[in-house]
Amino acid sequence: MNNCSTELQAAFEQTRRYFLGQSGCIGLGAMALSTLMNEACNADDNQSVAISRNGQGLPHFAPKAKRVIFLTQSGGPSQIELYDDKPGLKKLAGQKLPDSVRNGQRLTGMTRGKPQLVMPAHSVFRKRGQAGATVSDWLPHIAGVADELCFVKSMVTDQINHAPAMTKFLTGHHLTGRPSMGSWLSYGLGSENRDLPDYLVLLSKMKRGSDQPLYDHYWGSGFLPSVYQGVKLRSAKDPVLYLNDPEGMPRHLRRNMLNGLNELNQIRYEETGDPEIETRIQQYEMAYRMQASVPDLTDVSDEPESTFQLYGPDSRRPGSYAANCILARRLAERGVRFVQLFHPDWDHHSRLRSWCTARCRDTDQASAGLIKDLKQRGMLDDTLVIWGGEFGRSVAGQGKWDSPEGGRDHHPRCFTIWMAGGGIRPGMSYGATDEYSYNAVVDPVHVRDLHATVLHLLGIEHERFTYRSQGLDFRLTGVESSRVVRDLIA
Amino acid sequence: MEPIDFNRDIRPILSDNCFACHGFDAAARATALRLDTLEGATEDLGGYAALVPGNPQASEILARILSTDEEMRMPPAESHKKPLNAKAVSLIRQWIEEGAEWGKHWAFVSPVAAALPATATHPVDHFVEASLHEQNMKLSPPALPHTLARRLAFDLTGLPPSSEEVAALTDSPDSAAWSRWIDRLLASPQFGERMAMWWLDGARYADTDGFQSDATRQNWPWRDWVVSSFNANRPFDEFTIEQFAGDLLPEATDEQRLATCFHRNHMHNGEGGRDPAESRVDYVLDRTNTMGTLWLGLTLGCTQCHDHKFDPISQRDYYSLTAYFNSIDEDGKAGGGAKPFLQYRSPLAKQAVLESTAVLRKMERQVEEAKEAAESAFTASLDQMLVEARTTFQPWKVIQPASLRTTEGTVLAVDAEGMIRSNDSGQYQDDFVIEVPADTIDRISGIRLEVFADEQHADAKYSYAASGEFILTNVKLQLRSRKTATIVDLPLVRATASVQGKGVDTKYGSASGTLDDDPRTGWTTRTKPVEPVQVVVFELAEPIELSQDSVLDVVLLQRSLAPRELIGRFRLSVTNQRGRAVRSLDPMPMEQLAKRITDYESETENVFSAVDIPADLRSRLFDQYLADDPSWREASRLREQASRQVNTAKSAAGDLRVTVLSERSEPRKTHVLVRGVWNQHGDEVQPGVLTAVLPRSAAFSGPNASQDAAGEIASRLELAKWIVSKRNPLTARVITNHVWQLFFGAGLVRTPNDFGLQGEMPTHPELLDWLAVDFMDHDWDFKHLVRRIVTSRTYQQASHVTPALLEIDPENRLLARGARFRLPSWMIRDASLAASGLLNRTVGGPPIFAYQPPGVWQDQFMGRFKYESTLGPGQYRRTLYTFWRRSSAPTFLFDSAMRRTCEVVPRRTNTPLHALTLLNDLTSLEAARALAERTWVGNLSTDVELYLSQMFHTVLSRFPSDHERQVLVREYRQAEDYYQTDVAAAKALTSVGQLPEPNESTISELAAQMMMASMILNLDEAITHE
Repeated sequence: MNNCSTELQAAFEQTRRYFLGQSGCIGLGAMALSTLMNEACNADDNQSVAISRNGQGLPHFAPKAKRVIFLTQSGGPSQIELYDDKPGLKKLAGQKLPDSVRNGQRLTGMTRGKPQLVMPAHSVFRKRGQAGATVSDWLPHIAGVADELCFVKSMVTDQINHAPAMTKFLTGHHLTGRPSMGSWLSYGLGSENRDLPDYLVLLSKMKRGSDQPLYDHYWGSGFLPSVYQGVKLRSAKDPVLYLNDPEGMPRHLRRNMLNGLNELNQIRYEETGDPEIETRIQQYEMAYRMQASVPDLTDVSDEPESTFQLYGPDSRRPGSYAANCILARRLAERGVRFVQLFHPDWDHHSRLRSWCTARCRDTDQASAGLIKDLKQRGMLDDTLVIWGGEFGRSVAGQGKWDSPEGGRDHHPRCFTIWMAGGGIRPGMSYGATDEYSYNAVVDPVHVRDLHATVLHLLGIEHERFTYRSQGLDFRLTGVESSRVVRDLIA
Repeated sequence: MEPIDFNRDIRPILSDNCFACHGFDAAARATALRLDTLEGATEDLGGYAALVPGNPQASEILARILSTDEEMRMPPAESHKKPLNAKAVSLIRQWIEEGAEWGKHWAFVSPVAAALPATATHPVDHFVEASLHEQNMKLSPPALPHTLARRLAFDLTGLPPSSEEVAALTDSPDSAAWSRWIDRLLASPQFGERMAMWWLDGARYADTDGFQSDATRQNWPWRDWVVSSFNANRPFDEFTIEQFAGDLLPEATDEQRLATCFHRNHMHNGEGGRDPAESRVDYVLDRTNTMGTLWLGLTLGCTQCHDHKFDPISQRDYYSLTAYFNSIDEDGKAGGGAKPFLQYRSPLAKQAVLESTAVLRKMERQVEEAKEAAESAFTASLDQMLVEARTTFQPWKVIQPASLRTTEGTVLAVDAEGMIRSNDSGQYQDDFVIEVPADTIDRISGIRLEVFADEQHADAKYSYAASGEFILTNVKLQLRSRKTATIVDLPLVRATASVQGKGVDTKYGSASGTLDDDPRTGWTTRTKPVEPVQVVVFELAEPIELSQDSVLDVVLLQRSLAPRELIGRFRLSVTNQRGRAVRSLDPMPMEQLAKRITDYESETENVFSAVDIPADLRSRLFDQYLADDPSWREASRLREQASRQVNTAKSAAGDLRVTVLSERSEPRKTHVLVRGVWNQHGDEVQPGVLTAVLPRSAAFSGPNASQDAAGEIASRLELAKWIVSKRNPLTARVITNHVWQLFFGAGLVRTPNDFGLQGEMPTHPELLDWLAVDFMDHDWDFKHLVRRIVTSRTYQQASHVTPALLEIDPENRLLARGARFRLPSWMIRDASLAASGLLNRTVGGPPIFAYQPPGVWQDQFMGRFKYESTLGPGQYRRTLYTFWRRSSAPTFLFDSAMRRTCEVVPRRTNTPLHALTLLNDLTSLEAARALAERTWVGNLSTDVELYLSQMFHTVLSRFPSDHERQVLVREYRQAEDYYQTDVAAAKALTSVGQLPEPNESTISELAAQMMMASMILNLDEAITHE
């Protein structure tokens, strides 16, 4: 805290508690102002830990990761086709899934009452890299960086439909109303960049109407103040909604207008004494700065040709997943705390051989490119990258198991994600499923364990990171017990 | 020392620190000890007790709290609760010393109105001043008249007062004038709209289902019912009963049935694999929880899975409550299957039909005008067309590719005629990429692909696959910039094919399947007779002009599941003709013209001239011409939109299906759900009210029993009557608190959603109780409650704050000043429409689509839903009426309730995104221009100061100070100077939305005025409840 006096901090803490405290009814502007002060203080000393937020003393200990890039694959990618190699399934092809394996697992309305016949993977597997992780030939680029990744093959959730499962995956609870992980971190850790929001969300631009809409509560702040919600960065004229001044309003004129506005607001502040007005002045100023910082971020014309070669041809198409991966790296470079990409349509109920491979083509090279890029820039050490969707897919074929038109239904009892960087142990495959890739039988990792582990990497003890709402102290990991999976940590 | 008040001082400490393990939830109790009852706390634990009244030394609870032994200390370390601080410890010690008096939680004891002394001028002020007096403080002086006028107008109608209204009040500020003004506001139709916005947030009202399919509903007549209920001042008990059980009332009217839509406003899950039975259970729980939050201030959701940790409500109690809602004649389906429905016709849809029809007429006129305007230019161009038709015109120009590539390795070769062949190298799938040379044609509006049969192919068909068939899964047109390395996909909007077949996978067939980027659909001619050539034509959304700065690739994706069905021989051509030319395979009008010329001149000796063009061909040529005319295109786009708008309005005026409540003939059994899981049935339960709040017998006995529900069978009607029983300790307090919160920014209870043990105590308990009793004693007269509050000096005091006040009472809990807080975003929008004169005050009717930036729905739904903002006066309706898509709330409404579950706590943050919205949202910009025009009324007055002051007054209800006026004039001059030198910028700024073209002669001034209007509308004072 080089330039910040202790009194200022104390005043800040006091104000913050007043305005953040238990009552959600009071203007939160003072808090936003304090956030700005906080950042200004930290700008001089990046090593110093941010001022304790909400009196919780965050982070609780030295973090391994400073920021997160979450590559959300929406719809439920098939672990059976992509990562969880079960060569034995070939022999079991077409056979009924034993009841002992299914063990009462409920099915969705799409396959209930239909025979559960084993469909082996449509893809071909190989062992990759030094560590020998299994990645299928549908993801050749990810396979190429397998030694940087940590595969968790025993992920478990308890939701079988998209919206509840994704809500659970991102907020820790299947019902809406809780903050998403990015909001929690934005709230807890704040930003290292005073010209950009803490939590940015990028959706892949698709041509086709998606079967799983991306609800805005996926990046919502739930009961946390809405300053912590994810801000969508769009591939459009206005990358952030309402960012651009209208045509015919040049920048210098906007500057003039804001000077006048600030001056009049200052007069009002002196009359009313309401500190909220000072905050408003600051917010209009930050808006003005964002008008410059966001285009600087999204304009990739300063990227060399090698960048596009690294992320693949689709990275040249603004709005594509691959282009968003480049933006994710640029955001990480600018110190944004939490960047979340969403790529839809991993919901392969039928024809997964063409539909799933299409998603692989959309994402494979760019996901791997991001890992390589972060590594070559020395940023992988303190940037945690997470790749995964809300659940996995069933070993039973949906439709005809022996037809190229076959697909798979949702499956909550096991799925695979991978992580890299940010203190994660590279070149590791953790946990295992049974011979059907149906049940996580070795070291199951529940979604809430994942949350606990991610928070841990960011220096947060999940049980002590709470927010009071409706008289209860809520936390991301919820009320059931969850564990930090220490084996995943380097 | 002040004596201890158990409810105020002790219970919160116990609740916060002890009840999670020693509270009401038996299952969660760590030991047999419970501290939530006096009996439990004083129970003999074998020679000692946790609590020994009067004897702190003997009370184990204190010993454990103070223990230095980690193992012994309470609360224990694993709870992650901090040890109690010194203040809490001393409070507990004092409490025990004073005899450990226990009390029932305040909110579960019926409110009693304390007697007012004869000297009390106003009940609200009496209680507030009493507590201020204790602190040696007093109320602030009254707010200035214009401030009070604004405060009242915003609070009661959600709109600012007009300049005339303010002038009248500031001129004669006697109390009778104020009283009349309050009555006028309460009687205005905008009162109901304002209150409805509050109620809709609690009711989680939206126009769509939410979840995956997010289907559109037709429940808006219920919104109108809410507005009219508030306007008619329907007593709140009746208002409640009809929403819970309107269908069960004797000879229920359609309006009473409509009221029950309240309990069907929850989300509906129509996801493909979703079990409707599970959804149905969710809905029952949602209703119960919503009732808990909105009417009772209870966090009932906590008891879904276990007994309440803090409040005396068991899981069994909870499921007994749900039983009232468990026999609705519903089956958990969404969209059109979400029965029960009420067939309903709204009398309030007519205005939308009238408005939209008028807009359509206007747009039709504009199309005609554009057509007429183009006619002469068309006629003049006919000779040129004749020349082209005779000489250079080519309907389709064959592409001679600049390069050929494939993704998977198929080799392509082209001959001099542009015929492209692929080789037979065995790829299962591939993408063919054909680069179009920049000099092929001046512009491209359409692309034609010809697929040729060939002897070399299997069965002399179209490919080397065993089947001889091809499947084209997708076609992309990609423009690669040579400068920036970016690629843009140029949208194709239509594919028209010579024939469509059917694949082995029957999803393949139609050529439209090539436009969706989905490899599971695509074009094939399989099953149709083999022809020498098959043709498909693609239309571009917008023609593209090629330049040397960019490269255009046509990409033919063949990613089907049928191996090797890749096109063997093909040719690509392009055209620059628009309209029908690229929407059909028929000869283009110019082609027809060329043929006509040839035919004519071979049949006769004469030279063909424009007058010889037959009428039908001339008309086709004219259509072709118009297809390229920007004014006609824009006019006809608007006409189509207007016509869709009329259709929507007409269907809104027809029979609607509103989701409502009705009982099924056979009641369902209700069970406790183990851990809240929908199909894990525990004990069966019967419908039952919350005994800890008000036992059934107490609700329905006594002198009014016959009018109440004594002997009523267990039904929703009983439940509703229990809620509004005058003995119910919660309802009147909770509702009073909501209303207080609307006007003061925060409730007397700062946790409006939790009146339970973990909620906050009221800041003024006696005041809350007095108002609640008064509300009930006046037979739940809602307007009476409102009037009671706003006529107080407490409400009417100035909202200025001094450093001292901020220091003593930063949250204004003592109410020594008026409430100053940012207006809700919907009110800000309505206020700027009002100030600008654009506001359309029509009450009721179907939703409108307020301006929202393009592409927001497309981003989230990948194009499944398209947002079209309303054309015409509907655009300027109040925000209450704007269409609310559950999964993508209106973007301009920051800090709004999410409308997914019941919400009663306002969000109020202050972020740069809000600033950007208010600066740049189209509504704000239109309002700014309209406000400028309204102020200057077309005058080019030199008295800028006067007009700026007037505009300032229109927005803020006061004139600027000298200092403020100086700033305004200075800023205006700077802007005016700039726009006089850059008239194009002035034109761009002022050409906004649907407003008519600005007057060119005063455009620089208008731009400067508009900028000033925007600045004033963005002032903190303009968007703040002062």
